[in-house]
Amino acid sequence: MTMAAVTWQRLRPVGRLLAVLVPILLALGLVSVGAIILAGPLAAGFVGDNVPLVRFVAAVTAVILLSIPTAFIVIFLELKVIARMNLRIGPERVGPYGGAMSVVHGLKVLAKEDFTPLGVDVTVFTMAPIVTFVGAIMTMLVIPFAPGLFGLDLNIGLLYLFAMSGLTVVGLLMAGWSSFNKYSLLGGLRSAAQMVSYEIPLTLSLVGIVLLAGTMSLNQLVLGQSGSFLDWNIWKQPLAFLIFFIAGTAEANRTPFDLTEADSELVGGFATEYSGMRFGFFFFAEYVNVFIVSALLVTFFLGGWTAPIAWPFAVTMPSLDPLGLGVGLLLGIAALPVVGTLILAAPFWLSSKITTLQALVIGFILFNVVAVGLVIGYAFVSFDWVVGLFWFFAKAYAFVFLFIWMRATLPRVRIDQLMGFAWKWLLPAALLNIFVTAAAITIVSK
Amino acid sequence: MSTVPGSGIVRGMALTFRRFFEPKATVRYPEVRPEIAPRNRGRLQLLHDENGHLKCETCFQCAQACPIECIDMGGVDTRGRYNVHWGPAETYGERREEAALRRSGRPVPDAAFASFAEVDLGPVSAVLVAHDHDPAHMLGILEETQAAYGYLPVAALRHISFATGAWYAMVYGTASYYRQFRLAPPADGDPALAAADRRPSEASFLSALDAALGMGPRPAPGNARTGDAAGPRA
Repeated sequence: MTMAAVTWQRLRPVGRLLAVLVPILLALGLVSVGAIILAGPLAAGFVGDNVPLVRFVAAVTAVILLSIPTAFIVIFLELKVIARMNLRIGPERVGPYGGAMSVVHGLKVLAKEDFTPLGVDVTVFTMAPIVTFVGAIMTMLVIPFAPGLFGLDLNIGLLYLFAMSGLTVVGLLMAGWSSFNKYSLLGGLRSAAQMVSYEIPLTLSLVGIVLLAGTMSLNQLVLGQSGSFLDWNIWKQPLAFLIFFIAGTAEANRTPFDLTEADSELVGGFATEYSGMRFGFFFFAEYVNVFIVSALLVTFFLGGWTAPIAWPFAVTMPSLDPLGLGVGLLLGIAALPVVGTLILAAPFWLSSKITTLQALVIGFILFNVVAVGLVIGYAFVSFDWVVGLFWFFAKAYAFVFLFIWMRATLPRVRIDQLMGFAWKWLLPAALLNIFVTAAAITIVSK
Repeated sequence: MSTVPGSGIVRGMALTFRRFFEPKATVRYPEVRPEIAPRNRGRLQLLHDENGHLKCETCFQCAQACPIECIDMGGVDTRGRYNVHWGPAETYGERREEAALRRSGRPVPDAAFASFAEVDLGPVSAVLVAHDHDPAHMLGILEETQAAYGYLPVAALRHISFATGAWYAMVYGTASYYRQFRLAPPADGDPALAAADRRPSEASFLSALDAALGMGPRPAPGNARTGDAAGPRA
């Protein structure tokens, strides 16, 4: 037995892991340092020359990354809120308060067999969930999350939005057609009929807002609503808000318009033949869609990231220059976690039932809570975009809650009621809204 | 109320929102055990030993000892009673015959079956005739039967079940529920149950009444047997 083999045998699992990982990391570090030295200036020049391209790539990456936690949070909320409304507790075993339940769901779907039935058009069959998913999340590119925090400020943002959400229909039709199953095809057509019908009032309801604001850029629309909550579009266009809300519910395939995959009635509609992660992508897209519809409602009608009431007094934080404080003060700041932990641990240490180690752990956790709270508070008063993000997500998730609440309450409509409602009620109402808005603008401007 | 369009939606949403905050019905089972009624005996189940063999030896003693005959063995439908199945009928047919013999009145040398002893059915027949064999008079029948025998013999209960058409389980359930009934002969010197002891809530009610009326302690009802429910109260 060689020396190396003996050494390897004596190592514990952690040691073996480190023995493998450390050389790999060292090698990767050396390679990347060399790459930066050799190609760094070139890459920096390329980035400097192509800022829009880099921004686009970064924004798409950010949007795809954002869609993952969003879907997990929406699924978790759905499990938990509907459970509470059914007088159940809901998931509470996996993770704190059941929080990891949706993640485990995702892992389960990943681990399932990705089955391709005989006779399907494999290319289209595989592309369909991707098209649906991309069509859903690419709409997030133009949504302004906070001041300055948006993927692209397209001046035809609204058109882009509806073009992208129209892709979802294509994905559903592709899924239904390529499945080589007449019931899947019927399910796909049924979904397409619903989505296309509701896209018309959805689009028309926003014409009034475009007329009022004179722009189709979502960022400009939000800026036009800044001020207090009285400046929001919901007061100027209440009918449009109602139409957009109902049509958006149908577009996101939510109860009471969830005929696309009516769980209790259909085998599975267009998704009958799908399994594994290809099926998972459809539902990923569906749950991201719930958030997107909520975000659009907030952006168009509830002032986007603007606060409902302007912060009444200005707060200016003292700017700290860490280098100007001197070494002693810096050391003091460095000692702050230790001192804070000890101070917060002291009251627990005095209690007779808690050992010293437990008291230290409690103190450390408490110190972290306090410190994170202070940092978030500092960021909240110092940076506009933190405030914007807070209000945007607060409003958007309020609507997500509303959608889930509706799912826990309302029964599903029939397909003829669904189509009749879109064409006989929503479409005339949207047209009436456009007419009244245009007439009011003409009268006022004269 | 439902004339306004959409009012139903609003009321439904309000209902689910209230439910959101109400206490939940879920029982977190391994940590929280649900409260089980004291008379519940759970599901009848045959146990296996560590080698995977059935512990049941087909002795039929459980079926014999079951006071309300709710245990029966075999695959034959026995008037909706619980059946304990563990295999095809021919594997235990011999024991089944034996058990049927026991039930038919063969004396069994076991203390558990002492209460199955035959009694003179004359008094209980008279009681039944007086009540016109009506199972709706079960309480009265049982009280008078106990007055006649001093306790409720199993044979008398079976005769009541047979004559009135009520299930034996229901007769036994009635007899074992009320505290004035006893299913075994009273031991020597066993004082009869006081009227106030018959029903648990009656005692507290009477003592509260006494306190309200300012009366002293109630004299113990002397030699009252337990069949005097129709008689005057103390």
